[in-house]
Amino acid sequence: MDPEISHFETEMNRGFLQILVLAMLEKDMYGYSMVRTIRELGYEVEENTLYPLLRRLEKNSWVKSKWDVSEDRPRKFYGITDAGRGLRAELLEIWKKQDQILKHILEEKSHV
Amino acid sequence: MFEKLEAYLEEISHFLSGREEREEILSEIRGHILEKTEQEFGEATEATLAKVIAAYGPARRVAEKYLDGRPIIAPTFKRFLFRYTALLFAFHFILTVAAVAFKKSFLMFPIVYVPSMGPFEALFYLPTAFLFDLGVVTLVLYLITQSKRDVKLPWPRLSIDLDEVKTSGRTIGRIIGLILMTALTGTALYFYVQYRTIFFVNFDFARHQPIFTPEAGQWYSLILIGLWALGTISLAAKLVTSSPWVDAVEKSLSLVLLGLAFRQPLDTAFAVHLPELPEGLVRIIKLSLTITLLVICIFVAVDLIKALVRIGRRRLAK
Repeated sequence: MDPEISHFETEMNRGFLQILVLAMLEKDMYGYSMVRTIRELGYEVEENTLYPLLRRLEKNSWVKSKWDVSEDRPRKFYGITDAGRGLRAELLEIWKKQDQILKHILEEKSHV
Repeated sequence: MFEKLEAYLEEISHFLSGREEREEILSEIRGHILEKTEQEFGEATEATLAKVIAAYGPARRVAEKYLDGRPIIAPTFKRFLFRYTALLFAFHFILTVAAVAFKKSFLMFPIVYVPSMGPFEALFYLPTAFLFDLGVVTLVLYLITQSKRDVKLPWPRLSIDLDEVKTSGRTIGRIIGLILMTALTGTALYFYVQYRTIFFVNFDFARHQPIFTPEAGQWYSLILIGLWALGTISLAAKLVTSSPWVDAVEKSLSLVLLGLAFRQPLDTAFAVHLPELPEGLVRIIKLSLTITLLVICIFVAVDLIKALVRIGRRRLAK
């Protein structure tokens, strides 16, 4: 991929990934399971970006976490909080509005 | 434990220095990499892990993401700051001990100058030396890390374990060592009280013949008994504490004692006359003794550096 396009994609992914994560965490999940689920949906996420994002969301109390040590390998499970749900709703509103604006402009262009 | 994975995590750990949640971050990355490797390659080996680690990204970039995208500049190298300062100060400390013991000045151009001084002056000199070392290392690191952001700083692996693992085998060894050292020191002390020396040519104590003159004999005997006594006390202390201060104090005092040994002129120290030996051979024997003493000093100095670095690392880990 063209490095310029890759740079733009990274920029766009940053916002999208936040909404995506908040949407996924209605059910408790751990990092690697999230990466796999996202990949199965046909989207690639940089693993090393996901964990710092989860940490930032947790720091702001939008997600909560707990370590599960019942199995051989300890796993840190994340789940959304009420504050996270509120944020998710607001972000989705913004995203819908952006989507509408884009559609509107692209439709206008196609009519010209 | 996988060597590549641990090395990778250690590198990330360097860049996350000072962050409270560092260990948790590393645990999460470790879990992710191991699970991904097993899922994608069936089992985790050094080779399969290397592939997953490569895909995860360079350690510095991974760490930067936890720093909210802030570029890593000089402050992130603070672990190196303390490591290098500890190393430089260790040299400074040894030279100070030597300056006190030998009553000589030392110059290591252009960084270190240690003037001849007494023990009391050394107490005032060392804190100033530490601040100087910290300043020099800070300046050098600042210039290096500002000019090249991706610089990888070297750190010698001196086989220094941060946490000494207490094993039953080691404890038994120390107990045996303590018994032997106590017996040795006690016997030497007995001979010293009886004969004012512990160095003899023969074992016929009714007509004993000392190697050294009375003055040199007393001097060397007291130094050797002192060294053995220090070793005995150190072994006893290590049975109850794993503090690296035990080694640091023992090695510092040992260096002082070894330094005192050099103050006795070897030329006039011998009481035995060896007429059958040619002059050249006698000179070689004396030179060999001096070199042996110097080699022992170097070994003790290296142990002292290790102990001081271990102290520095423990403080940093805390």
